[in-house]
Amino acid sequence: MTTSARLRNRRVQLVRRATTSKAVRGSLVSVAGLVGAPVANQAAEEVGRVVDVVARLYGADPYPPLTGLVIRIGRRRAFLMADAIEQVAAGRVRLRTARMDLREYERRPGEVLLARDVLDHQLVDVDGIQVTRAADLYLAPLADRIVLVGVDVSLPTLLRRLGPRRWQARPTPERVLDWQAVAPFAEHATDGPAQVRLRGPRSGLHQMRPADLADVLEDLGRSERQQLLAWLEPAAAADALEEMEPGELENLLREAGPKYAARMMEEMEPDEAVDALRDLGQGERESLLDRMPAAQATGLRSLLAHREGTAGGAMTTRLVTAGREHTVAQVRAMLAQQSEHRTEIDAVAVLDPDGRLLADVPLFHLTVAEDAATLGEMVDWLAQFGPQAVVGPDTRIDEAADQLLASRASSLLVVDEHERPVGRMLADDVLDTLLPERGRRHFRRFLQ
Amino acid sequence: MTRDLETAAATAGPRTGPEGGPAAPGHRRGWKRVVAVAAIAGPGLVAANAGNDAAGIATYASAGSQFVYGTLFFMVLVTVALVMVQEMAVRLGAYTGKGLGALIREQFSLRLTALAVFCLLLANTGLVVSEFAGIGAAFELLGVPKWAVIPPAAVLLWALVLFGSYRWAERIFLLMSLAFFAYPVAMVLGHPDWGQVGSHLLIPHVQGGQAFILLAVALIGTTVSPYMQFYAAAGVVDRGAKPEDYKLIRADAVIGAVFACVISLTIIIATASAIGGTGPLQSAAQAAEALKPVAGQGAELLFAFGLIGASALAGAVVPLSASYAVGEAAGVERSVSRRFRDAPLFLGLFTVQIILGAAVAMTPVDVIQLLIGTQVLQGLISPVVLVYLLVLTNRRTVLGAAANGPRYRIAATVVVLAVAAMSTILLVQTLLSWLGLG
Repeated sequence: MTTSARLRNRRVQLVRRATTSKAVRGSLVSVAGLVGAPVANQAAEEVGRVVDVVARLYGADPYPPLTGLVIRIGRRRAFLMADAIEQVAAGRVRLRTARMDLREYERRPGEVLLARDVLDHQLVDVDGIQVTRAADLYLAPLADRIVLVGVDVSLPTLLRRLGPRRWQARPTPERVLDWQAVAPFAEHATDGPAQVRLRGPRSGLHQMRPADLADVLEDLGRSERQQLLAWLEPAAAADALEEMEPGELENLLREAGPKYAARMMEEMEPDEAVDALRDLGQGERESLLDRMPAAQATGLRSLLAHREGTAGGAMTTRLVTAGREHTVAQVRAMLAQQSEHRTEIDAVAVLDPDGRLLADVPLFHLTVAEDAATLGEMVDWLAQFGPQAVVGPDTRIDEAADQLLASRASSLLVVDEHERPVGRMLADDVLDTLLPERGRRHFRRFLQ
Repeated sequence: MTRDLETAAATAGPRTGPEGGPAAPGHRRGWKRVVAVAAIAGPGLVAANAGNDAAGIATYASAGSQFVYGTLFFMVLVTVALVMVQEMAVRLGAYTGKGLGALIREQFSLRLTALAVFCLLLANTGLVVSEFAGIGAAFELLGVPKWAVIPPAAVLLWALVLFGSYRWAERIFLLMSLAFFAYPVAMVLGHPDWGQVGSHLLIPHVQGGQAFILLAVALIGTTVSPYMQFYAAAGVVDRGAKPEDYKLIRADAVIGAVFACVISLTIIIATASAIGGTGPLQSAAQAAEALKPVAGQGAELLFAFGLIGASALAGAVVPLSASYAVGEAAGVERSVSRRFRDAPLFLGLFTVQIILGAAVAMTPVDVIQLLIGTQVLQGLISPVVLVYLLVLTNRRTVLGAAANGPRYRIAATVVVLAVAAMSTILLVQTLLSWLGLG
């Protein structure tokens, strides 16, 4: 393509984009601009002013339809049903009839007051993965209804709202998030059932990486954070919690209430759960452990008995063990059943009938071995490389790190004095303890 | 929470990690309980004591030199006000888990939010000016002209914060500012008239005249600085304090406020007994006089040392806390580890405040008057921020059962009204004197 053609092409695109944006802008109605706007009846007489816009957030529709307006008439506040509205335009509302059926507004389940509950409040931008605040909300006509289509989070929009009235009504779609890419919080509910829940398929929250989710959780206010947690499956929440900074995690567990905290703890990998428990006070720790299934609590208690900074304190107790007689195919089947713990399993420990360690077979060897081969053969083959590196529960982490380096393995078995495996220390846990605390350098950190 | 401990501890006393670094979980065992207390207790203490910076010292010293013990009773009232205000700020933080900036945005209209943010920025920029003026004045005591010091100091502070090594510099500044702990000693060694001190502390002595009111407003401004409330609430939130911790938090806020005011009182008394009655404070050298009983010939050096530390410390923290509050209210990225493109508002505001502060401090103005002037500005703006604080803490929709009770509500309203009245009187007097009527 020649330069001039490229330029022409570019100009055409720019013009197209400008017209689209203008057209889009023309059809959008700013909720911020609507608040305080006059409501006129069919005869164009002003009957009241808009106080708030009511939308049903969690129905079947992809975009929440407007269900009505709260308007102020004299000193009264009344609810105006959506079907009485002829037109909602920038900064004004026209009604279909001169007669109005005015009722006191009572919130119905799933309804949210857009100006009071959503505008200027925190929300999670699921696509951009960040916590932000709604600077404006945009309504648009869709088929025969008016729906909420997007959230503006741009700074210019905030400044526009500070300007004179006629600026306020004019949409400035700079950075608009599609409503479907947003998880809003709206907690000011009536006494009825909880109004806010996350619609399953729409919520990208469930597809977010645990580390991103952890970042988002750290940025939210307390009540928003609790709401978000409540929306998540405990398993997904637990994954995110494992990624959180220890301090933040501690706060979150303390806030969450013992029942839910215990539930999330159950879902966390044992070594991460122990780390979190260590940071809690004695009383809180016990109250969480008491609420967990007995077997799990016992496991965690025994892990807690190990000192921090030792192999025992950093290991996971999730072990896959097998005997000499097992075939590789059998072991693979065992592993397949454990797929949900894939991050914790790095090798298979082969034990003699007394439970003593014969060899630790890395997954790679299992992958390339013949199905019919027995673990006994693998143990014998591994023996030619000399004794395998293992550590005791009291081994200091830096010593364990040396061992890990020397053996070029990605995990080390932790064995007791009788050579019986009690846990496994994974390379990432070694790294975690050895690296200086990183995390994001928020200003807050040195605010004090 | 660990990540906050180090700085909190650096200010509040006990250190958490072995080398003062971020206390890694492994190092926390033995100190566990102590640290847990220090972790939650802290914001109030730090926030209140942040008032004793360059501008604060200048104002307190001026109060002593100009009115001898005359402002002591007033300082007692200011202490009560500070205690109440800080308590309300930490209560909001503890019960909502949100900073003041965020709460104002959620609870008030955007325009009222903008007003609050504007007031905070204005007051803070004034404060940044005074911090750089303080650095300039300190170096002038040591014989270095301020034009040679302020620009590099501004660039250095800006770079330290943005490029991340500020945390180490901060400790040095903190240690330097400990020089001001010589004031209580100086007070005792300066043999003030204890009878007079006692009677002025307990019995109201009100003097008329613009000079006294000006100074009184400055005392409010420097003690109840608007940014402190934002700072205290943010600190509480950041530590993840929850309602159950509130008793501890309240104790910390109250003790912090009282402690800060006691230090301020010792500065007034020490200065009063050294140079009391000589009229308004003329220079930093004069302010250093009060430290003579402790340091003798080295008084100026000691004073300069403390002034540099306190000013440099606040010179970075004050503009950052304003940027943080604004970022919070606007809902934009706020972190010093971001690039300019990712957090333009946050980093831009920080930069602009530093530039403005340094530029104004460079102008050939009377430094001490400038410092006090800043505090007057703060005093004028304080009531605006206090009204927000009062309304928020009164709201049951925000705090639920922790909202102000009827009696507390009356007391807090009186405090806010009193601060506002002082500011108004000052404003009216200033206007009258401009018109030649004063």
